[in-house]
Amino acid sequence: MGILDLTKDGPSKVFMLCNEAIVRGAVEADVKVIAAYPGSPTSEILDSFSSIATHFDCRMEISSNEKVALETCAGASMAGMRSITSMKSVGLNVASDSFFSLSYTGVKGGMVMVVADDPQAHSSQTEQDGRPYASNAYVPMLSPSDPDEAYRMTKAAFAMSEKYGVPVLLHTSTRVNHQSGMVQTGRLTRTPFRKLNWDHPPGRFVTIADSARKFKAEMLERTKRMEGDFETSEFNLVTDTDSDMGVVASGAGYNYAFDAIDILGIRPALLKLGTTYPMPKKLIADFVSDLSTLVVVEELSPYLETHITAIAKDANPKLKIFGKASGHLSESLEYNPNIVAVAFAKILGLKLPVDYEKITRRAKELKRGLPDRWPTFCSGCPHRATLHALRQAMKGRKHVLATDIGCYSMSFLPPVEYGDSLLSMGACMGVAAGLQYAINEKVIAMIGDSTFYHAGLPGLVNAIHHGDDITLIILDNEVTAMTGQQPNPGSDTTAGQKPAKPMVLENVLNGFGVDDLTVVDPYDIEDATARMKEALSRKGPNVIISRRACALYSDRNKRRRGESIIHSAVDKDSCKMPYACVREFNCPAIYIDDDSRKTRISEELCDGCGVCGRICPFGSIHQANGGGN
Amino acid sequence: MAAREFSIYMCGVGGQGLVLLSNAIGSACARAGIRALTGEQHGLSQRSGSINIHMRIGDGVRSPLIPIGGASVLLALEALEALRYVEYLRDGGIVLMNTRIQHPVGETAAHIKDKKARYFSVADVKDRLSKVTDKISAIDALDIARSVGNPLTENIVMLGALSTIEDFWIPEGALIEAIKESVPKKAVDVNLKAFKLGQGAAHSDLCNVVKCRE
Repeated sequence: MGILDLTKDGPSKVFMLCNEAIVRGAVEADVKVIAAYPGSPTSEILDSFSSIATHFDCRMEISSNEKVALETCAGASMAGMRSITSMKSVGLNVASDSFFSLSYTGVKGGMVMVVADDPQAHSSQTEQDGRPYASNAYVPMLSPSDPDEAYRMTKAAFAMSEKYGVPVLLHTSTRVNHQSGMVQTGRLTRTPFRKLNWDHPPGRFVTIADSARKFKAEMLERTKRMEGDFETSEFNLVTDTDSDMGVVASGAGYNYAFDAIDILGIRPALLKLGTTYPMPKKLIADFVSDLSTLVVVEELSPYLETHITAIAKDANPKLKIFGKASGHLSESLEYNPNIVAVAFAKILGLKLPVDYEKITRRAKELKRGLPDRWPTFCSGCPHRATLHALRQAMKGRKHVLATDIGCYSMSFLPPVEYGDSLLSMGACMGVAAGLQYAINEKVIAMIGDSTFYHAGLPGLVNAIHHGDDITLIILDNEVTAMTGQQPNPGSDTTAGQKPAKPMVLENVLNGFGVDDLTVVDPYDIEDATARMKEALSRKGPNVIISRRACALYSDRNKRRRGESIIHSAVDKDSCKMPYACVREFNCPAIYIDDDSRKTRISEELCDGCGVCGRICPFGSIHQANGGGN
Repeated sequence: MAAREFSIYMCGVGGQGLVLLSNAIGSACARAGIRALTGEQHGLSQRSGSINIHMRIGDGVRSPLIPIGGASVLLALEALEALRYVEYLRDGGIVLMNTRIQHPVGETAAHIKDKKARYFSVADVKDRLSKVTDKISAIDALDIARSVGNPLTENIVMLGALSTIEDFWIPEGALIEAIKESVPKKAVDVNLKAFKLGQGAAHSDLCNVVKCRE
């Protein structure tokens, strides 16, 4: 899978990541405007679009946040162009203000929003279920289970959006987005990009008071029409059997239910729901009418289960419904085939062919003493150096650290375990404001550059305006690192390597009235520590910028330029084992030789940042000059 | 169970090229008309985090996640990670692991407090895994990758070893084509060399305990 599979004419059968399949679907649907902010598990949608942005006649941007992205698509689609945005479910929280209004005003050109849940909170602050947003806002929603279906639904969603004049939400989850599989691609017929003439009467997209009430009535009528159409949608699949047991499943839950059925060798009637808002009530009523037992398999909240229970009250009052309310399936964590098989077996009183509990118990026993491998900062990561400098600067002084969303969030994990609060994008400044009202200790806020531009600006404005006693540390690593080093407003490029005007952080801060600004290079760790200590001893509000490019991003650029990475090495003779390079530094390239107890540096893993050498009190670490360890 | 299903639980440490490895197998399957799907891990753990990819080959399965006790092969690019995901291996399944260990930072941090502490070793891992299966093969993929001139080809060394297993029925030609298309153009030759040497390493070890292709 690569650029070729996204740009080559079909039909052909391709092994694709679901996120790439969504892009393929949108490209085949002749999408013209693409705007998104990265967020796992959707980031590869933006990355894939970015990789082909110059191949097709379209307009693409990496927006400063999800709300701006959604509004950018809204503007283009109001005018009549097809547009797409993608975000994680917590990203829709940011975009939700305009999302609700947009459902009122509607759009003209097809607009698709990919919204991905993250059950298990693999890379999110919560396990938020994005689906209630659709029903709350009267926005149609499709939920695919695999890459091929996601591809087909994306294409269909554009037509659907234009038919009903409303954006369509494509609801996914981590195990759908990050699933690769076979996709049957179609023809690639692109039309040239042409600007349109605005052909709407004044006030067409204005929703307030009277017009809002008018839009609401239309919206309800629109939803009724859609529900009627969804009764016969190709995305709802019924597999009838003579069993009096039935299963309704959707999204990733369908995959697990399918395999659990296979594991147990049972043959229930199966309804795969693809149109998850508005729900096809008649189809569901017909499906449950002859059953005695129904199991609903969906991850997170009982969104389908609650609606289906209500439908069954009239359609089949005697139906026994199992799922979350019955306690057989959980509202938290992601599912898998064995979790669903265990639930089915319990409900039906069947014996499992595999003793999962026994396997899990045995594995736990076998893993006793196996060291954990927590997510950690990459070798060469400037955050490691900044955090080390910060802790040295604050040594012996009580303080509280309000942190934010980004790679630096990992500082709270073992073995570092540093940081006191983390809520959402940009929240560090607001939380810090409250803390400085409430506590005696020094209050520090920490945020990355991309998150700062995304949602940190209002918090800083607030703190400056009120003269809050906070020191804000901005970790400026040039990119949105955690999601794959995408450009951000501080970069001189945007999607597809197209040039963009970089924000100059100092100018932004000066403009806001930050009078006390310190800029450090974390690689120059003695200087960074000393100057951070000074800044942190002054009354806030003040700001420290710790500036150094993301190590992975920097490595990629070095490789592009043909520069090699010169790793560091430990001089065995002068190493007196003070372990300064290990203690509070925790670089994955550094380890201790089991016999000599001296530290060593892995040649393969070292990034050559040289910070450990600056920390070593005996100067035992230096650049390797061919000699190595 | 579905007609013909072969599930590989792949694991390793961020930066070892697991996604490229599963992509290469998937593309080879597409080439050979064999159905495959994966459950991958992207985001958050960049380098040095624990990474796993579920790979399922065959017509009968829908879930990208392998059930506990469901993997035919546990393919570990790093030795500690083989043990970390042992519950996914079916009884008597195959463990194909790299002898390389990347010491977790927490383990190293604990070492400075205890002078007698020893790192968890490949022998420890093998010993524990032997309670689940006797089909264990460990290959020094990093050494082989270095010998072809690129330590980053560890993943393809392991793919070469995997390709010798008889039950893994993806045609070798399709795998080679997939490697060519998955790696950077200038790295094709070293990767193909790595693939061949991985096969060779398997023939002198793995194939003593597992039925291999002729």
